[in-house]
Amino acid sequence: MKTVRVWFRKTGAARYISHLDLTHCMARALHRSRIPLWYTQGFNPRAHMVFALPLPLGMAGDRECVDIRIEEERITALEVKERLQRALPATLPVFDVTEPKMKPGKIAWASYRLLLEPEEGDARRLEEQLEALLGQEEIPVEKHTKSGMAHFDLKPYLGELSHRVEGDALLLELMLPAGSEKNISPYLLTEALESQRDARFCCRARRVNLYDLERNVFE
Amino acid sequence: MVPGLEKILLKVQKPGRYVGGELNSVVKDKDGVDVRFAFCFPDIYEVGMSHLGMKILYSLLNRMEGVWCERVFAPWTDMEALMRERGIPLYALESGDPLSEFDIVGFTLQYELSYSNVLNMLELAGIPLLQSERRGLSQLVVAGGPCACNPEPLADFVDLFFIGEGEEVDCELVELYRAHKKKGSSREAFLREAARIPGVYVPSLYEVTYGGDGTIASIRPRDGAPEKVTKRLMLDMDRSFFPESFVVPYLEIVHDRAVAEVFRGCIRGCRFCQAGFLYRPLREKSVDVIDRQCRSLCETTGYDEISLSSLSTSDYSRLNPLLDQLLTWTPGEKTGISLPSLRVDNFSTEVMDKISSVRRSGLTFAPEAGTQRLRDVINKNVTEEELMKTVATAFSGGWSSVKLYFMIGLPTETMDDVAGIAALGQKVVDAFYANPEKKKGRGVSVTLSASGFVPKAFTPFQWEPQDTIEQLHEKQRHLVSSVTTRKITCNYHDADTSFMEAVFARGDRRLGPVLLKAHELGCKFDGWNDYFSLARWRQAFDACGVVPEFYANRRRSFDEILPWDHIDYGVTKDFFRRECEKAYAAATTPNCREKCSACGAACFQGGICHENR
Repeated sequence: MKTVRVWFRKTGAARYISHLDLTHCMARALHRSRIPLWYTQGFNPRAHMVFALPLPLGMAGDRECVDIRIEEERITALEVKERLQRALPATLPVFDVTEPKMKPGKIAWASYRLLLEPEEGDARRLEEQLEALLGQEEIPVEKHTKSGMAHFDLKPYLGELSHRVEGDALLLELMLPAGSEKNISPYLLTEALESQRDARFCCRARRVNLYDLERNVFE
Repeated sequence: MVPGLEKILLKVQKPGRYVGGELNSVVKDKDGVDVRFAFCFPDIYEVGMSHLGMKILYSLLNRMEGVWCERVFAPWTDMEALMRERGIPLYALESGDPLSEFDIVGFTLQYELSYSNVLNMLELAGIPLLQSERRGLSQLVVAGGPCACNPEPLADFVDLFFIGEGEEVDCELVELYRAHKKKGSSREAFLREAARIPGVYVPSLYEVTYGGDGTIASIRPRDGAPEKVTKRLMLDMDRSFFPESFVVPYLEIVHDRAVAEVFRGCIRGCRFCQAGFLYRPLREKSVDVIDRQCRSLCETTGYDEISLSSLSTSDYSRLNPLLDQLLTWTPGEKTGISLPSLRVDNFSTEVMDKISSVRRSGLTFAPEAGTQRLRDVINKNVTEEELMKTVATAFSGGWSSVKLYFMIGLPTETMDDVAGIAALGQKVVDAFYANPEKKKGRGVSVTLSASGFVPKAFTPFQWEPQDTIEQLHEKQRHLVSSVTTRKITCNYHDADTSFMEAVFARGDRRLGPVLLKAHELGCKFDGWNDYFSLARWRQAFDACGVVPEFYANRRRSFDEILPWDHIDYGVTKDFFRRECEKAYAAATTPNCREKCSACGAACFQGGICHENR
């Protein structure tokens, strides 16, 4: 038995699948792919499946991964990739199967690209609204945590944010803490832009990559 | 993707309902398509996607060259509000094209309380609701499914109904449509031709008149439409089309598993059960065919659970050989088998061991009535002794939770019968504690679920009045007060919805304007308790001067012309009348395997009626 890391993208309609539904979808695809999986030995045997970091609903992912356990002597990594690809919908393309180098718990940062299409005014106006938000003394936001609502200032986390107008839209690129220790969703920024600067836009968000504490790419 | 859709998807619950793109969904090149069929399920995605009939007809229609069948579901109210606000018309999931661009818009009618959603979906699509207001050949609105057995309440809105099973007649209709589209026929000319296809009912070709007492005086066909429309059915289930794959949703749906159809019809003849009469005669599939279909489905979908579906799966004559055959490969594939409908009288340890070899779910039985007398009235040929034996078997096999389904408001029912439900629940609890192998410290949980009886067309109780809402409430209270232990949980259905279901189940064309009015008042998702409003419906009835009690609570005489008398399911009115009279005498009728009771279904020249001769 060995663990392999399956790398895939979440694109198109698949963005609208919640993480829970993605786990079901992946479990069915694994079953369909006839990859010799290792099953848990409990009353309800289940295939081992660990996603590195769930993606919020609506967000695309360029470098998502899930760890599965296979009976190694019976299949190669390339075969896993090809079989799983055939079993998954086209919106969840598998691009690599590797040996896991880091534990998912090591993830500390994630990079995002957000494309904001204005619903009122133009992209330039939206950029001004963003700049006004970033110019605030603080950006108070709240998020759900296990112990209720947490209120905090988002501003200190926005050090690595760049923005530019691209065509009719405003493009944001940013790096935020991610993972089990501290996770800051980029949606906190877009929600603040809506509620504190009264901006109206449609946001297409993509998680581009994952990193450890030292900014090594998660592998 | 649909213009503007992306902007609203993140504002609604479960956007995965509205995006399509699922595995095994069928996308065709529009250039090679000459008939576009929108298969509409008038409820939300998770409910509609669980429906086997839709999966069969979707695959079947898409097998036809030049025909593209797509899926459409009712958007939940949050999505509907945004679609209306942004001017996004109802669209089909595969292409994202608006419904108004389709040739044929087909609805499956699974329950009466979805009728308001049919109207709402047509409106969201921008298709004129009234059949008389639609012009040209396209946007043909068709409907089928069990509720089409009394199509009259929808006669104003639907161009034609499919009576019976759709596998053949749907394809014949599509071919006829294709020919008429090529010729450039008028809608009227097409409908007159369509009415000649056996199993097609075109309501606009029938004139209904009413007598002074409000009952129907006559139903007359015109323009060559048949006096009676006889249902279609698949006689050889082994050769009947069954899909090799299902569309596999991203979202978790209500029945998220592979479904194998084991047989159609039912041998039992329970007098309240419409499906038991509509699908006669019993037609079984062979073990090899079911096994092959299960393997194919599991391979193409990746499901790890197979449900063996039918009206009463433990009545399958080859259930043990089937389970043995499936068990040669399912454990290796980590695949479980579930039986959705078990009968109390033929539940065996052998079957139980086989289905629990991989996975085990709760046990559900339906004694339907609390006393033997009433079970005889409804011809539910199940005894208390059998129930007790069955639950004892289940308890010694390690189950500790049992759900029992009942109906209240059955014909001839007394308060003693209602109290009998609670008494039966108590006996089941006692049986648990009488089990010598009972593990220490384990409790038992018995759920008694009581729904209000709804008399339906094409049953021996089609002439019966339904209990009034007040009577049902009184019986519900009596049931709850008769339960004396906390080991029993009592659930009952909302009497208001049962009442409205009864009105539409036996309604006539005069309900058309009421439905339209109710739709205008905002009625939709009536099958959902949080959405149903009896007050709003009453307002619609008052506005149209129609009295709903006339349909729900009135006893009909045996010689009254019923709104569905021109629809023929093979089983004769005379048989229903004999069965009704036997019910009053609490006399039972043997099942189709024991003895033929000459119901009339033998006219189809197949199934169990002919195997036994």
